[in-house]
Amino acid sequence: MWIVLPAYNESKIIKDVIKEIQDAGYQKIILVDDGSTDDTYAVARSLPGIIALRHKINRGKGAATKTGIEASKKLGCELVVTLDSDGQHNPEDIARLIQPILNGKCDVALGTRLKNPKGMPWYKILANHIGNAVTWYIYGLWVSDSQSGFRAYSRHAVEIINTKTDRYEYDSEVIREIYLHKLRYSEVPIEVRYTEYSMGKIQKQGFVNGLKTLYKIIWHMIS
Amino acid sequence: MHFALYQIIIVAFAAIMIFQGLKNYFGGKGNQTFLKLLTRIIVWGGMATVVTFPHVSNTVAKLIGIEGNINAVILAGFLLVFLMLFKLLSAIEKLEQQITTLTRQESLQDLEK
Repeated sequence: MWIVLPAYNESKIIKDVIKEIQDAGYQKIILVDDGSTDDTYAVARSLPGIIALRHKINRGKGAATKTGIEASKKLGCELVVTLDSDGQHNPEDIARLIQPILNGKCDVALGTRLKNPKGMPWYKILANHIGNAVTWYIYGLWVSDSQSGFRAYSRHAVEIINTKTDRYEYDSEVIREIYLHKLRYSEVPIEVRYTEYSMGKIQKQGFVNGLKTLYKIIWHMIS
Repeated sequence: MHFALYQIIIVAFAAIMIFQGLKNYFGGKGNQTFLKLLTRIIVWGGMATVVTFPHVSNTVAKLIGIEGNINAVILAGFLLVFLMLFKLLSAIEKLEQQITTLTRQESLQDLEK
């Protein structure tokens, strides 16, 4: 199993995030630095056992995640887990997330913040509900957290899912792929840790970025 | 019923565009959704209808309040600009995807080292 971490300007925290994942018992980690302007890539490269890849220019979270998944396919993965690199996801949840796939019950496991929204700001909950409604209306599948980056995929799923979007709309596009290819999916409650650090990042999915994501989703639908 | 050359060309082109949409949809092409197919049929079907039965546009013009040639010219110009903008955004989107593909290929080369 490979863990994929898309990262952009996370040099302050990436070392701790990777250590936490390793301490949870997962050693196969691919970090994709998405053209960071800080030394995220250098920090990741200096850590033992990490495969650090780099986008020379910033292409977005979706593009970086896809690069990580492509790399894990090349490395012969049977299972891929993606999670955010700002420390908001708890690596202890990985075991629970992958369980339905290991049991052969599904192809994609979706980490769902809204089933365990403790500590989640109200406006994030509202934004997630709006994201879910838009995803359902445009892509035809209702899920509890269409914008979560904490997901697990079987080999079968990563072979089939073919996304084209680069930024935050990627998360919704995966839902479309699940729907179109009739992949089996499961929603697993996960913990979210909204820290001062993660909330302060300007490139996170805020209100303006949310509108951009909405525009992109609609654009991809009509173009 | 007499058809002018431009009517035949536009109807044929609209038929090809609708046929392509149906082919993509029923052929299970990944990015073709029902909503996209419906949009395509409405746009191209509407164009073919207006070209085949021009009096339909008079009815529509009366219905939405457009009267006089100058309004029609302005509307046509607006549609043309919209179409150009659409094509331009499509081209940018395609370039963005190509840049991402190149960036990804280049970064994955590190894996082989």
